[in-house]
Amino acid sequence: MSGRASSPPARRELDLAGVPCPLNWVRTRLALEAMQPGEELTVRLDPGEPRESVPRSAREDGHLVREDAELVRIVRR
Amino acid sequence: MTLTDAELERYSRQLVMPEWSGAAQQRLRSASAIVIGAGALGCPAATYLVAAGIGRIGIVDEDEVEMSNLHRQPLHLTPDIGARKADNAMVKLGFLNPEVVIEPFPARLEGFNAEALLAGADVVVDCSDSFATRYLVNDVACALGIPLVEAGVLGLSGLVMSIRPRESACYRCAFPVEPAPGSLPSCREGGVLGAIAGVLGSLQALEAIKLVTGVGEPLRDRILQFEGALASPTVIATRRRADCAACGDPAHPVPEPAATPERV
Repeated sequence: MSGRASSPPARRELDLAGVPCPLNWVRTRLALEAMQPGEELTVRLDPGEPRESVPRSAREDGHLVREDAELVRIVRR
Repeated sequence: MTLTDAELERYSRQLVMPEWSGAAQQRLRSASAIVIGAGALGCPAATYLVAAGIGRIGIVDEDEVEMSNLHRQPLHLTPDIGARKADNAMVKLGFLNPEVVIEPFPARLEGFNAEALLAGADVVVDCSDSFATRYLVNDVACALGIPLVEAGVLGLSGLVMSIRPRESACYRCAFPVEPAPGSLPSCREGGVLGAIAGVLGSLQALEAIKLVTGVGEPLRDRILQFEGALASPTVIATRRRADCAACGDPAHPVPEPAATPERV
């Protein structure tokens, strides 16, 4: 395998603390659009509506979503 | 160039649509439209193109705002009576979205200037109010190969069609016989309800957005007719004519389809 092919998928981070709905999802969506399939985006979101709706929207768009207490991780489809 | 923070906020409600994308928004921002007429169709068509974030829009209209325009031309308000429509549309559209480059052309589109006015546009939106202008716009857009959205309204009904020159039927393919001047009633004689022009002008903006962004499926070889009195839409199939004076090419005739339904 070449070095390029074996390099791990790029990871990106997006700090959306203080960014309200739906602008947080707009920014998440545009970040995902600029990534390759399989790459992971880590998003920090405010609790409440942002933390509920952004993961839901990402799942509805077909991305793989994992959440822990602090962060939402989205693997681009 | 990526979208700015202000653009993300301004367009956030369309950027979250599943059918839309940042790429679609940037394609729209890179696009230039020319709108022929700032009247009943042109006001809603230009409003929604500018609101959605078209990059540049030209507005061609030689008329001045009159009291009798106001019921159907919502960019023109009572204090604007006497102002030139192209200039007034530029002012109002500039308030709506200062990100858009808006160029007023207070001139009548005629044979001698049509090509200069249309050249360079990515889409032509024909909101003119005369058959002579409509055929001229169609013929020049076909000659220049610029996608075109045609519409017309009268009374409580109207129609709209999108045209990709030499790929789908043009206005002259669909309506090869030009009506003699005065043989059909104009708005002045036949009347028109503002809301029906709003429906058709909005559909023109929608078609133009689809044509320049690649989102969705523009009307192609189809005329959408809307009978407002019955709230009844009808789609009429049409097709290119090999002998069309605007887009036909006798050397490369259009293949005959196996069957053409008159209405689909």
